[in-house]
Amino acid sequence: MKPFAFLVFDGERLSADPRARGRRLRMDIRCLSGEPVKGAFAHVCALARADAALRYDEPEVQQVRRDALAWWIPLLGAELVCLSTFALDASRYAGAVTVARSPDRFGEDPFARLFPGTLVETDLFAEVGPPPGPVVERYAGAPWPGGSF
Amino acid sequence: MALAPGERFPDLDLPDHTGRARQLSELAGGDPIALFSSRGWWCPKEQRYMRELTRLQDEFEVAYARIVVLSVDPPEVQSAFRAGLGARFTFLSDHERRWLPRLELVERTDTVHDPYRPAGFTLFPDLTVHRAYNGYWYWGRATPEEIRRDMREITRSVRADWEVPED
Repeated sequence: MKPFAFLVFDGERLSADPRARGRRLRMDIRCLSGEPVKGAFAHVCALARADAALRYDEPEVQQVRRDALAWWIPLLGAELVCLSTFALDASRYAGAVTVARSPDRFGEDPFARLFPGTLVETDLFAEVGPPPGPVVERYAGAPWPGGSF
Repeated sequence: MALAPGERFPDLDLPDHTGRARQLSELAGGDPIALFSSRGWWCPKEQRYMRELTRLQDEFEVAYARIVVLSVDPPEVQSAFRAGLGARFTFLSDHERRWLPRLELVERTDTVHDPYRPAGFTLFPDLTVHRAYNGYWYWGRATPEEIRRDMREITRSVRADWEVPED
């Protein structure tokens, strides 16, 4: 299985159609593969601007994944639908999306430290079991927590 | 139940520290696992050992391997314990003691908590046991060096590119 799917973000809206207008971002393919959860909320911590990217290996990008494992996922509990970072290629991070049944906790989203969050109501995403940790390293080219050897 | 090297560890189906239903094979996700049964949050030896594992997680997080802890503590207790430790790995809660007798890991000398006895298992991604550790006495537990050794041995045998590819 290809380790990622494309999500397109234009700054306000999301599309799973890779030909849609906006920025094409790689995300964990499992989030777009199963039965979609209707009426969910996505907190898209990314920008539509093409140059908004950080290196995955930067300490702040590693730390935000640690925070996701340590407290963000437990805080969301059963509200969590799925989450994924956005990869541009094997080395660049372009943000993350957290999808939940309620947007109530999004004000605490650690991924918003890196790129500001945009709230999008969505029917696109399937429920995916959260990453078990402690792995925060990515499989080359795959957006965390997706991919495997 | 046989939990000896070469045997397949059961694919546990239990809630994690958030209460979400999980399967051990799903937690493995194709990576080696270091799995530890634990008496529970209240045991000073467990507190000490869990701090050791928490230190080790910094290596696991970059090395494509997983740590899983199994106890009879309910999810909310595990979640608080995990937060206090600063752990970023998964705790599985057998608070209903569904797996405890089947795994034959009951600590019979503790009639108050009816907990797991401390044990450790290093597992291949398909849950085959590589090594088993009896941690009833603290010194029987897997040391960080033994865990590193086991993860190296498992990884070497399951990663086709252990020897650096030519091209």
